[in-house]
Amino acid sequence: MTLQFKPDETFRKDFTYRNSDAGILRFPFPFPEDEYMYSVNIEPHVRGGPTAAFQAAFDVDEHYVAECRERALVLAEDPKRCQVLPHMELAQWDTLELIMESLAADYPDLFSLSKDGDLWTWVNKPLSIQQTFTFGKADTLPCPPFEYITRQAQGDFTLQDQREDNLYVDGGMVTTQADWSLEFDIGMSFHEWHGPVPLAHEKGVFDRALKYLLRLQYGQPVRRLNWTMTINPRLDTSPENYPVWGPDRTTITPENVAEKVHLRVELQTLFRLPRSNAILFGIRCYLASVAELSRVPKWRKRLHRVLRDLHPAIQEYKGLPRYRQMVIDTLAPFDDGAPLSKGIQSDLTAL
Amino acid sequence: MTDQGIKSRPRYQPLEIDPAGRHHLLVVPSEDVPSDAVAEGFAPSAFEVWTVVRKSALPPSAITEEAAGTVRAFRSPAHLFSALEERLARETMGLRLYAVGPEDFLWDVYGVGEKAGLSPQEMRFTHSGTKARRIFCVHCRAVTEKVTTSIVTCSGCGASLFVRDHFSRRLSAFMGVQVDAEAPGDVPAAEELYA
Repeated sequence: MTLQFKPDETFRKDFTYRNSDAGILRFPFPFPEDEYMYSVNIEPHVRGGPTAAFQAAFDVDEHYVAECRERALVLAEDPKRCQVLPHMELAQWDTLELIMESLAADYPDLFSLSKDGDLWTWVNKPLSIQQTFTFGKADTLPCPPFEYITRQAQGDFTLQDQREDNLYVDGGMVTTQADWSLEFDIGMSFHEWHGPVPLAHEKGVFDRALKYLLRLQYGQPVRRLNWTMTINPRLDTSPENYPVWGPDRTTITPENVAEKVHLRVELQTLFRLPRSNAILFGIRCYLASVAELSRVPKWRKRLHRVLRDLHPAIQEYKGLPRYRQMVIDTLAPFDDGAPLSKGIQSDLTAL
Repeated sequence: MTDQGIKSRPRYQPLEIDPAGRHHLLVVPSEDVPSDAVAEGFAPSAFEVWTVVRKSALPPSAITEEAAGTVRAFRSPAHLFSALEERLARETMGLRLYAVGPEDFLWDVYGVGEKAGLSPQEMRFTHSGTKARRIFCVHCRAVTEKVTTSIVTCSGCGASLFVRDHFSRRLSAFMGVQVDAEAPGDVPAAEELYA
């Protein structure tokens, strides 16, 4: 399988981002059942899975080059979207090693890493980067190691320090986020940074998730899916820029709803890091319009059912009230109410 | 709607001494230790107490002696914090740092303590006095002080900010998010909530 990158795609202004047929079928659709409620839903992050998005430690798809360029744009506007607290130096190198080794192993045609003792050479063909550096010596790279490697990966990343039987979000590269601020949250404990999420605290979701994650083992990463909706294929829906993207929510009409409203899925992965004992949290963002998802019969029916029956507190928290009913109305005629297979797989081999 | 159900908001207990401590330093942003903030049986004489009198003519005093029962006054919170930095830089294990006062003061103290290497277990805080909030504008990063209403105009970018219960101990501030970001001009009336 050769990847055809779409380097000129945009995630702002004219929004030229689109998914190919294969891109739609590999989408990590987040609803295994017709109803949605918060849950821990963590499973081992093993290769293979219901769609092709689960086949690598760090998924690379047709949007890779364009997403890396979008990240560089956000960082040029706001360098503080990447921050790491000083005690996380070792975790920075752990991250660089994990991502470089994973990309080189999973995509040998695109990336390579060669090591001569501590002298490493990294080649990233899609971005035309060749870099020789000394592992552990930050001044041999053009920027700090965590920033260096996460500029070359899709999705956001945070670094969790483990101490006092808790996890602290003590670093991150956060440019494609669903409305949370690294600048505000950095340094917070697990329950603090999840503080704004409704219902889940009362259901004990975060207590259970924290206990589970404190025991996360090196070499046994885990994953879960999360979701929200975004108007236009916009990656930067930060609270910082809420006044920039917020007005989009008032532009939805029955005519444009299918093209403009996007399901935003986070494939969240958690890796224990070997030297620092920190946890790397990958938050890979996938966007697909309602029109694109509607090409998969199972998904359009299930999306209809989930949105129709969504808990009011969840739809409020996810910012859906202005347009949720229009999405439901556009999907309803295609839902015959027939039972759907359990799980998130598309049940199709081609579109 | 004073409780928005957000869990990052700190909870406080009446002040009690940590028996594991060797020396106890209590800082307050007023002249007296507020009596409503302390647990029963609390003895201020067990603490070295630093207070703020808000007076420029206050003669300086040495910060090096440390004895339980000593009371030392500073001209302003900022004056106290700079002395605290110096003091903590020289401290050895066993010090416990306590603070009683409004929330922004408490977490400013926390920041000084954390920078000096104190762990959260070595610091104890109790809220007392005004509930006015310090607001960090998530859009422009300006800080607006002494906010008592549900919606406030940002001192930096002029946005009408909704005062969200989400609290950052590091910034010692609550988050402010533009309330009319989606529909500019659609600003609800501000309610007095945090007097």
